[in-house]
Amino acid sequence: MTTLPKRIIKETERLVSDPVPGISAEPHEDNLRYFDVSIEGPQQSAYENGVFRLELFLPDEYPMEPPKVRFLTKIYHPNIDRLGRICLDVLKTNWSPALQIRTVLLSIQALLATPNPNDPLANDVAEDWIADEDAAIAKAKHWTALYACRPPPPSPTGPSETNN
Amino acid sequence: MQLQIKNVQCVASWYWDVPKELKRDLHEGEDEDDEDVCGICRASYNGTCPNCKLPGETCPLIVGSCHHNFHVHCIYQWLNTSTSKGLCPMCRQAFSLRDGIRINEPHKEKFEKVLMKARQQNVVSVSGVNAAGGVDQEDVMIDQEFIR
Repeated sequence: MTTLPKRIIKETERLVSDPVPGISAEPHEDNLRYFDVSIEGPQQSAYENGVFRLELFLPDEYPMEPPKVRFLTKIYHPNIDRLGRICLDVLKTNWSPALQIRTVLLSIQALLATPNPNDPLANDVAEDWIADEDAAIAKAKHWTALYACRPPPPSPTGPSETNN
Repeated sequence: MQLQIKNVQCVASWYWDVPKELKRDLHEGEDEDDEDVCGICRASYNGTCPNCKLPGETCPLIVGSCHHNFHVHCIYQWLNTSTSKGLCPMCRQAFSLRDGIRINEPHKEKFEKVLMKARQQNVVSVSGVNAAGGVDQEDVMIDQEFIR
């Protein structure tokens, strides 16, 4: 493997030392360009109380090209399709090398708070969303409870860390 | 008492001459140390881009008219991607070199060409032919040529 650019090392260090609230990103030990990410559903959104797992990969061309990010947790959202692919401008045409892992993840968190059915990736979801928003939000909440809920908290006397 | 100087060692230091009033981004960005860093590779202005070993004239700095400064190699590589659309990575204004800055002088001609090409790509992507995509082979070759 070629050496990791300083910028990626710096970004990783800061993600660990000064994490964004509600977001965690940890690189794989055997591939420092591959991150396990989890994002907490924003409060007062249909995804509240959910913890969504994602994978993030920094291509060789990064930061000239955007990171590749995908949801691993199933989610009902008009801009995220069933393969977990995300429709977000900064991940495609509006990428800039001044952006970084943390800003991209913040944008994804914001996308959860503000679904945009007028620029859909999952057409069926977007149609549902436009036809009956309340029902779509109810379904998104249901999916959140079903697929994105935290494992039960450890007993108060036990160790505070999960073994995940 | 008599002093005899047996040996003299000269030490010099240098830095890129970026006008002070242009350093407004210091403390504005959310990360970084005290030093000014390139907005693309986040290494110091006076250091090198990720592909160079020796700082200085081999890895120069340029000053944008929007007051954003980059290693020439970094911004050049960015402007050669189709995603850049000729825009500054920091503020998304059309990128151009600031006039009247001494360290920009050697790069003016080359940048005219790159920016012209980037603007053409912008027209292409706006007309919807190919908005996404990365650095193509030809761009990489031009980049190599530029580094020489």
